[in-house]
Amino acid sequence: MSGDAPDEDGQIAAQLQRGDTTAIEALYDRYGGLALGLAYRILNDRSAAEDAVQEGFVAVWRNAAGFDASRGGLRNWLLSIVRNRAIDRLRGNARARAEVNFDSTEHADGVADPWAAVALDLERKQIREAFDELPDAQRRTLGLAYFGGLTQVEIAQQMQVPLGTVKGRVRIGLERMRAFLQARGVTA
Amino acid sequence: MTAMNHAEAEEFLVAYALDALTGDERQRMEEHFRSCEEHRDAAAELRATASLLALTVEDRDPSPTLRRRIMEAVSAPPSQSGAFVPLPPTRPPSTPAERRVARPRRWSVRPAYLAVAAALLFALGAGALIGRLTGPTASTVAYTFHGDATRAPGAQARLVYFKDQQAAVVAATGLPRLASGQVYEMWLIKDGVPLDEGIGSSTNGDLAARMTGDFSQFQQFAITIEPGEQRLPTTMPILLGNLRAGS
Repeated sequence: MSGDAPDEDGQIAAQLQRGDTTAIEALYDRYGGLALGLAYRILNDRSAAEDAVQEGFVAVWRNAAGFDASRGGLRNWLLSIVRNRAIDRLRGNARARAEVNFDSTEHADGVADPWAAVALDLERKQIREAFDELPDAQRRTLGLAYFGGLTQVEIAQQMQVPLGTVKGRVRIGLERMRAFLQARGVTA
Repeated sequence: MTAMNHAEAEEFLVAYALDALTGDERQRMEEHFRSCEEHRDAAAELRATASLLALTVEDRDPSPTLRRRIMEAVSAPPSQSGAFVPLPPTRPPSTPAERRVARPRRWSVRPAYLAVAAALLFALGAGALIGRLTGPTASTVAYTFHGDATRAPGAQARLVYFKDQQAAVVAATGLPRLASGQVYEMWLIKDGVPLDEGIGSSTNGDLAARMTGDFSQFQQFAITIEPGEQRLPTTMPILLGNLRAGS
């Protein structure tokens, strides 16, 4: 399984670190739809989700020099930023945004690497399966933490269950997912 | 802050990986990681698994303008950077008290200060930044900060603020070397609230950055060493200086 599609992502990361703006386009072609899906899942608002995605890509661009692949892949880095931006907005912490001036430049769509796209689809299918295999309570609890940005204490309040129950659900749920994915070679 | 013991940390590992701890809990965990490689590694593995939850969502088709907005933001020359381009946090806030103060920031310095900035930054060995700065000199305020005598002896930072453009460049040298996974994180302090101004992770103890904002509203500048970018400092500054008393 290609996981984070390291070869292509690594190439994009190297381009980003050289200041090559076409790398952002390539990254957008690969993960723009996924990033928006993630932000939308958190915010349930297209406009706000697109703002979070924009901020995520721009942040990757601005901070590419500090990117260290040994600490995680480019995709995960991008998605973690987009997630955090979206959760900031969800929790009412979105920063005021300066006006953005648009020009009329059109950008041609990039050509995505077909194998990378296939590998990503396969990987995502396995991950969805791992998530769907979880008991409903564990899945909902993990979802509130990851997509809702809630702490364990807040989850306990929202689900009206003891804190210890929440702790058990997140621990068992994530460990089950991990075991499931390890068994299928998705994660090491 | 009460130290977290091994058994307690074990219980919090998964929630840490999911960013589901309160600020105090997370801070205690990160303190624990300093002395517990086993849990540090376990947390990293669990975080990698947690990050896969992002892949359970369905793709959505962005609007036709989103690509253009992004490319506009990354391509805009500094002199016309209307783009909103702050550095990203690595994790969401855990409590309302931790949330950052909202304010617009821009990270592009108008290419206006080559002469001053070049002299400053070349002197500090951060000449790579200079290529991005061009244009006429503006009124400036310069500050020199020294590293903490214990945590960063010999470290020095030079910050030059260009008043009319509300932009600054900063370069630091002689910072303590980073361990694996650590970053330098810069902060501006306003009314006691530290605002994340970005990270660096050079291996040679140097750090250079550019920032924008009205520095008259900030009282201090600081650099900490963190285990990845943080919302709030989790360690004492290795370098801290007052902005309003600058030379």
